[in-house]
Amino acid sequence: MTYTLKAAHLYGDLMNTYGDIGNILAMGYYAKAVDATIDTDLISLDDPFDPAKYDFVLFGGGQDYEQTIVSKDLQTKKAPLTAYIENGGPFLAICGGFQMLGHYYIGAQGEKIPGIGALDHYTLSQDNNRFIGNITIKNAETGQTYYGFENHNGTTFLGKGERPLGNVIQGHGNNGQDKTEGVIYKNTFGSYFHGPILARNEALAKRILKLALQRKYPDADFSVLDELHEDLTKNVVIKP
Amino acid sequence: MSIKSTVATWTGKSAYWFLHTFRGGGSSLPGKLALKLDPAILKQLAKNYEVIVITGTNGKTLTTALTVKVLREQYPDILTNPSGSNMKQGIVTTFLTAPRAHQKPLAVLEVDEANVIMVTKYITPKAFVFTNIFRDQMDRYGEIYTTYQKILDGVALAPEATIIANGDLPLFNSKKLPNPILYYGFDYQPDADTQAPANTDGLLCPRCQHILRYHSRTYSNMGKYFCPHCGFERPQLTYKLNALTKMTPTSSDFEINGQTMHLNIGGQYNIYNALAAYAVGRFMAVSPAKIATALSENDEQVFGRQEIFHVGDKDVTLILVKNPVGLNQVLQMISTDDRPFSFAALLNANYADGIDTSWIWDGDFEQLPKLNVPAYISGGERYRDITFRLKVAGVPTDKLAIVPDLTNMTAEIQKLPTKQVYVVATYTAMLQLRKQLASQGLINGGMA
Repeated sequence: MTYTLKAAHLYGDLMNTYGDIGNILAMGYYAKAVDATIDTDLISLDDPFDPAKYDFVLFGGGQDYEQTIVSKDLQTKKAPLTAYIENGGPFLAICGGFQMLGHYYIGAQGEKIPGIGALDHYTLSQDNNRFIGNITIKNAETGQTYYGFENHNGTTFLGKGERPLGNVIQGHGNNGQDKTEGVIYKNTFGSYFHGPILARNEALAKRILKLALQRKYPDADFSVLDELHEDLTKNVVIKP
Repeated sequence: MSIKSTVATWTGKSAYWFLHTFRGGGSSLPGKLALKLDPAILKQLAKNYEVIVITGTNGKTLTTALTVKVLREQYPDILTNPSGSNMKQGIVTTFLTAPRAHQKPLAVLEVDEANVIMVTKYITPKAFVFTNIFRDQMDRYGEIYTTYQKILDGVALAPEATIIANGDLPLFNSKKLPNPILYYGFDYQPDADTQAPANTDGLLCPRCQHILRYHSRTYSNMGKYFCPHCGFERPQLTYKLNALTKMTPTSSDFEINGQTMHLNIGGQYNIYNALAAYAVGRFMAVSPAKIATALSENDEQVFGRQEIFHVGDKDVTLILVKNPVGLNQVLQMISTDDRPFSFAALLNANYADGIDTSWIWDGDFEQLPKLNVPAYISGGERYRDITFRLKVAGVPTDKLAIVPDLTNMTAEIQKLPTKQVYVVATYTAMLQLRKQLASQGLINGGMA
C-alpha cells in the first residue's frame, strides 16, 4: 500500500456500544480506492494518547456505567486530545464521545459528569424521555443529506466556534429545539447518529477520509475519491 | 376463585377456543382479554403449579425447550409457553389453555427480561434460570446493566427461589442477592491468561472497574474470568462442562460433570443451553443418565432456530439473528461445516427486529471470506445496509446477489451453486421468508 493512516479508537473496548467501529471499517473500505490502509490502535483506560502519532481518532458511545468510568480516565488525556483537536486532527465523536468532548453531561443518576471541554458544548438530560428513531439532516456547507438513527436521552447545546453537522429535516437532533444535529469544529465531527454514521453516509466518510489523507500526504492527489460512488444496487436481482 | 377471576378465565378460555378453532391461532389475545377483566388472573391460574422461569438475552427459547424435554423424563405434566409468547399476555394464555392436570404440575416458562416482574407479582417461582445478558435491541431494552436490573426487580419479589445462572458471565456475579444461587459453566480447558477482544461488551470488573482477564474464554465476555487488580473471579461452578469432544453445525458431543452427552443441535451457544437444561434437571432430581437420554433425542425443530427445509435440491438452514453475539456464534458454528455452503443475510428493521441496524457492524462478518463461500445473498428491507456490510467485510461483488424483495427468495436460493445453504435473518425477515415457504408448501404452518 502506498499510504497508511494511523487511527486511534478511543476506549474501543468500553465505548463501542452501537457498532461505532463500523466507521473505521467504512473508511478503510473507501481508502482502498486510493491505495491506502488504516491501521488502528485501541486506546483504553490508563493508556497514553500521543497526538503526534495519529491521523484519525474515533470516540464512540457507551453505556452509562462504562461512560462514568471513561469520563474519569479521560481527564488524564485531556491535554493531548485538546492539542490534537486544536491542531486540526480529524476526529469523529459519536453520542457519548460527542458529549464528553464538551464541558459536561448529566449522567443517569442526575449527576454532572465532566467532559474535557475541548469543544464548547454542554449536555443536559431529559426526564423520562429519549429521542429514538430515524433521523435525516442536511449539511449547510455541502448541501449533503445524511441519514442515521438516534437514541439518546442527552440534549446538547452548541457553543462558541461550533457549527452543526447538519440541520434536522426529520428527527430530533442535538436537543429537539434548535434543529441542529451534531457538531463541526475544525476537523472534529460529532454526532448523535448511532454508531456507524460513516457506513450509511458515503459522502461524509469520504470527506473525513480525504481530510486525514491530505493532512498526512499534502502533496498527493486523492481526487479519485470524489468520483467514486458505491453502487449498492449493482447486483440487485429483483427490483425492490 | 372470585367471580372476577372466574369470568376472566371463562372469557379467556372461550376466546382461545374460538381463535384456535376458527382462526388457527390465539397465542396472546385470550390472555389479553382475561387480563383486562382481572389483572391478577395469573395468581389464580398458576396457583397449583411449581414454576421455573427462564430468562436472558439469547437462548431462552431453546433452553426452555430442552428443559422441558429433560424434566419430562420424570414429570409427566409440564406446561410451557409457545415460542415468542414470553410476555405477560402469552403467559396468561398458556395457563388458560392448559389441560387439567392430575398431580401438582410443573410449568417451565420462557419470560422476556422486562416481564419477569409481571410474573413474580402473582407467582412465586421455584427457580429462575439466567442464560446470559448481551446487548440486544437497545432501542427496546436499554443497556445490559438496566436489563439485568429489570430481571432482578422481578427476582426481588421471590427471594427464596433458587437462581440457576450462567457462571461464565461476569454480570451474574456482580450483585449480592438473598437467593440461593447455583452456577453452571465451561471448565474443560487448562488455565491461561487471555483477554476478551476489544469489540465486546461488559468487560469491566464490577468490583473495581478494571478490565477483566480470562483463564479461558468461550465467547463474548464469557469464560473463567478474573480481575488481576482486585481478585474478583468466576464463582464455583456446580454444573460444569468438563469435556468438549466434537462440534459440527448439527451436533455436539461433550461431558457434563463426567456424564457423556450428545446434542443434535449445533453451536457452542447451544451447549450452554443444554448445560442450563442439565442444571435444572439435576436441581429437580432427574438423573444424569436420563438427562443425557433426553438431550440426545432428535429435536423437534424450534421455530426459526436452525430450522432446516428443502428448496429444490437445496438443504437450507434458517437461523434467526438479532444481536452481534448471537450472529458471531452462528458464524462460528457454520465455520465448522466441512461441506461447501452458500450464505444469505436478510435484514429488516421493523419493531420486532430492532429498528436500529447498527449492530451489524459489531458482527464479525469478516470471518466469511475466509471460509471460501462460493456465493452470497444479501436482502431484506434494509438490503443496502447489509449489502454494504458484506462488501466491507470483503465479500466479492461478483459472488453476491442482492434480493430486496424476499418474495423471490426461493428462486434465488435454487440458483445457488451449493447444496448447503445458510440463511441468517432478523425476525420479520424470517417471517416473510417462512410465509413464502409455506405458500409453496415447503414448510408446514407455524406462522405464529
